[in-house]
Amino acid sequence: MMTWRDGVRLAFHGMVSNKLRTLLTMLGVIIGVAAVIVLVAMGQGASSLVTSRIETLGTNVIFVSPAGGTPFPVSEATVIARALPFPTIVVPEMNTGATVSTLTASGGAQVVGTTPAYIHIGAVSLAAGHFLTPLEMTQDQPVAVLGANQVQTLFGGSNPVGASVMIMGQQFRVIGALNRVGQGPGASQDKDIFIPMTLAQSLLSTTQLSQITVKTPSPDQANLAADYLTNLYTNTFGSANAVTIASEDQVLQTLQATRATFTHLLAGTAAIALIVGGIGIMNIMLVSVTERTREIGIRQALGATREDILLQFLLESMAMSLSGGSVGAILGVGLVHLVPVLWKTPAVFSPNALILAFVFSTAVGLGFGLYPAIKASGLDPIQALRYEG
Amino acid sequence: MIRMVGVAKVYPMGSEISPILEDVTLHVPQGMLAAIIGPSGSGKTTLLNLIGGLDTPTQGQYFLNGQDVSHFSREQWAHERNRTIGFVFQSFQLIPALSARDNVALPLVYRGVAPKVRRAQADQALEHVGLGHRRDHRPSQLSGGQQQRVAIARALIGDPALLLADEPTGNLDQATGQEILALLQTLNRAGKTVVIVTHSAEVAHACRQVIQMQDGHLVRVAQEMERV
Repeated sequence: MMTWRDGVRLAFHGMVSNKLRTLLTMLGVIIGVAAVIVLVAMGQGASSLVTSRIETLGTNVIFVSPAGGTPFPVSEATVIARALPFPTIVVPEMNTGATVSTLTASGGAQVVGTTPAYIHIGAVSLAAGHFLTPLEMTQDQPVAVLGANQVQTLFGGSNPVGASVMIMGQQFRVIGALNRVGQGPGASQDKDIFIPMTLAQSLLSTTQLSQITVKTPSPDQANLAADYLTNLYTNTFGSANAVTIASEDQVLQTLQATRATFTHLLAGTAAIALIVGGIGIMNIMLVSVTERTREIGIRQALGATREDILLQFLLESMAMSLSGGSVGAILGVGLVHLVPVLWKTPAVFSPNALILAFVFSTAVGLGFGLYPAIKASGLDPIQALRYEG
Repeated sequence: MIRMVGVAKVYPMGSEISPILEDVTLHVPQGMLAAIIGPSGSGKTTLLNLIGGLDTPTQGQYFLNGQDVSHFSREQWAHERNRTIGFVFQSFQLIPALSARDNVALPLVYRGVAPKVRRAQADQALEHVGLGHRRDHRPSQLSGGQQQRVAIARALIGDPALLLADEPTGNLDQATGQEILALLQTLNRAGKTVVIVTHSAEVAHACRQVIQMQDGHLVRVAQEMERV
């Protein structure tokens, strides 16, 4: 019986005796393992970004928006504030896409008409200047607060406070600039330009709101508020489906469900990549067994047992998949560090992905090496010795 | 050393059953230098394969070193070959990717001997067949006679009691063949039982026991004394 050390030595000897072929065979596993690590890191990066945004917003926020042709006038904000039995911040919003320009630059923007309370929801924070004030609101002053992308597009990133922008043919004075929010659930505020709602009504010539945001003192009250509002709109319109009432809690749950789907998708992709790699290994091992038929016969004649031959070929396929796994892991970890630089997408390295990749590549080597190894160990020594390769 | 009683080997060929070897009864004493001769297809290689356990008899009994090995499994035979039998083949059967030394050390790998010890013993065995200076060469870098010497060193390294040679001079020119035969004779004098399958009258003549096969039957066993 061959010792384990000799078995491993033999496996690596077999691997390096045909370097190019081994490398090409390993490529499948290398790519598979690197893909697992990078995809998982990108998935984790995206979800951690989203989760942190929801956490800053808090789970004590609910959104009310009209569904289909439901009338949703500005007065609805007052209705909601009155309907709730505890103090809340109720912020109406009306949105429209518009072209905005300065003397030197122009671009598309989401124009949001809202009230000064918007800043208290906590979705955005100021980088410079101030947000809409009640005075500006009541005086219908043409003032605007710019999202981070607008600051970049219209003013090349320099402080825009005090400058002018043209929105739908009307001149506005910039009073504030917002910090970058980044990508998350729903739309990002980075493309937005905030103006007083009273002015938005005349500018957009509408009284219909696109959304009302309600912030309650606690998450429990947010759920309670959602129930109150559901009742309110069922009584008003005869159906709770006339408006959509979504709490951050629900958004978080949806997000987690999405993340689970995403993870399964990644696992599936990785599994396919690794199975393809495994088939490559099996293919080469079968060729190798055929090529080395005579060698197998010689080893059998000299006292190799069935188990010895099985071990030799199984260890060789495992050495191949594990080496591929190691190279793939190094490549994957390197790419995880490169992704945020290249695509400005966050990627969070997960040690679990590394473990998963190794477990998978070992399993692939074992699984796909087994059949060729069994084939080799089952050869008849007399016929094997007579084989003309 | 080798005792066979009524041994037969039958291969199923489709629906027909064709016997390769029939009713072979044979005794090769310890320390003997024996030749198995006969025309092609007479069953002499099959007989050698049976002796070496590369094949198993369909019928009859086989005692190797006093032990009944008639019903040995593949695993048992692997161990037995590793310990008591050394093989020498017509086509040398060296592994091309391994050096002469690693080829010679191979039987010890399957005995679980440590690499250092294996290497030392392989060098010694190569020295013994006069190839100490060629230990790092690949088989392709050696002449036929040298390759056969490496194969003999490999057969010797485990210190087996029995050497089985299948046409060991068949692929060699006459002079080299004589050298190989002389080497086998020396090993026999040192106490090894040697069985050689051969076409060569010269080789058969050098042996002290000649087993003649024809159509799967053992037709004649000539001992040295009868021939004299």
